[in-house]
Amino acid sequence: MASRLQTIGLRSASILVLILIWWAGSAAMNDPQILPGPLAIAKTIVKDLHTPGPEGESAYFDIGITLARIFITFSASMIAGIGIGLAMGLNRLFERSLLALIPLMLTMPTILMVFLAIMWFGFSEAGGLVAVMAVVTPYIAVNMYEGTKAMDKSLIEMAVTFRAGRYLLLRHVYIPQLMPYIFSALRYGFGQTWKIVALAETFGLKFGIGYMFFFWFQQFDISQTLAWIMMFVILMLVLEHGVFARLESRAFAWRSASLARGRA
Amino acid sequence: MTQGATGSSAISIENLTKKFPSPGSADEFVVLRDISLAVDEGKFVSIVGPSGCGKSTLLNVIAGIESYDGGAVTIHPKAGRAGAQPRVAYVFQSPRLLNWLTVENNIHFVLEAQKMPRGRWRELVAKNLEMVGLAGQERNYPLNLSGGMQQRVAIARALAIEPDILLMDEPFSHLDAITARKLRFDLMAILASAKPTILFVTHDLAEAVFLSDSIYMMSTKPARIFKRVAIDIPRPRKPEDSALIDLEKALVRDFFSVVEANG
Repeated sequence: MASRLQTIGLRSASILVLILIWWAGSAAMNDPQILPGPLAIAKTIVKDLHTPGPEGESAYFDIGITLARIFITFSASMIAGIGIGLAMGLNRLFERSLLALIPLMLTMPTILMVFLAIMWFGFSEAGGLVAVMAVVTPYIAVNMYEGTKAMDKSLIEMAVTFRAGRYLLLRHVYIPQLMPYIFSALRYGFGQTWKIVALAETFGLKFGIGYMFFFWFQQFDISQTLAWIMMFVILMLVLEHGVFARLESRAFAWRSASLARGRA
Repeated sequence: MTQGATGSSAISIENLTKKFPSPGSADEFVVLRDISLAVDEGKFVSIVGPSGCGKSTLLNVIAGIESYDGGAVTIHPKAGRAGAQPRVAYVFQSPRLLNWLTVENNIHFVLEAQKMPRGRWRELVAKNLEMVGLAGQERNYPLNLSGGMQQRVAIARALAIEPDILLMDEPFSHLDAITARKLRFDLMAILASAKPTILFVTHDLAEAVFLSDSIYMMSTKPARIFKRVAIDIPRPRKPEDSALIDLEKALVRDFFSVVEANG
């Protein structure tokens, strides 16, 4: 418990120090056209959230659009990746045919995928979806595949001996053992997804945080540009730590329960 | 595997042969050659042999998770369940519990797998946990339990499906001597009421002599059964009973004479 409080304390302290350096830097420069202070940016964010922007919508609208894009493309990639990875792990035919393909997909630089998707699908939602799926799906598939290889065969044997059917095997033997792999894929895949969505919005999609960021960039409005970057970063941090960390601690409750016992 | 309708043997194996493909050559490696044995309903029969003699493979063949290359393996349900698919339960060397499920849900897992009626689950869980001395642990997770307690859960799980045949593969070999001894005693008491047919595999002759109604002794190279011994010493038994110890000594001598004869 003490160590947990310590971690939280240290983390807040380091963020605080960063903000202080920022504040000191902007005060020393004393030029809001180049580096506005933290307080000015906070004020800009609050203003953007409450007043209509250049497209006639408040920042909530763009945040909503970006979140929807991330959610849809990420869900599609996760479902496809988990499905392909499981198929590769559990079926020899899939394994042999896809194993050569995956490294090819993984070596493709992300930014090239985004450009290719835009060239093929134009500045459309489909382009964003294809770009995210092309980058994130193979990574998740590889993770799942490795997870299936690391499964405890003795448990599968136990289940088969007791005549457990396909559903029971998947639900209680395969999936729980794959959970750590699913979560690491989830975290990495999510990080990749929001970066690609931001990129696609910057380059061509209408609306969204990336779009607004690029709009203000073209106006050369540094406080607005920074305000939108900050909104994005805060949002992603909240999602990663607030949502994923919670899901993870729930999924692994059986582990921490026994750890707590062991310590007591 | 065939399921006969009649016959007094719960398990009968005739001239069973099992081969594994030998890596790096066209030859096949013969794991089991010409194995014959019979286990009568409700009896406790052990197979004793050195490591690597194919004992576990034999259990896997009976459990139906491994194929075989020759001979016949027949298993029957209990007399009261004639015609039904025989229920086979397995207790392994290690507990093989699903650590992410509670003790109760570990048992539910096999009850569901065996399609036991849901209305009986509560009763089956309670009865069998009580029997292995773990009443009240339903909601606990396996990792909170000691190794001996986990193996007790594995035994409760196996008994919960009300097996016609219980296969046990060195179930106490991973436990410390004192825990193993306690569990052997408890197993005897449990079986007095549950009464499944048991095929028990071990390399520990003292354990086999203490637990069994009869023992089949196996040798390696080639893996075969070279002796069957009936143990008529009345129950309840004590491991220190001189009749048991004398029998064990005699069987150990038998083993060495066979091993030496094989070179």
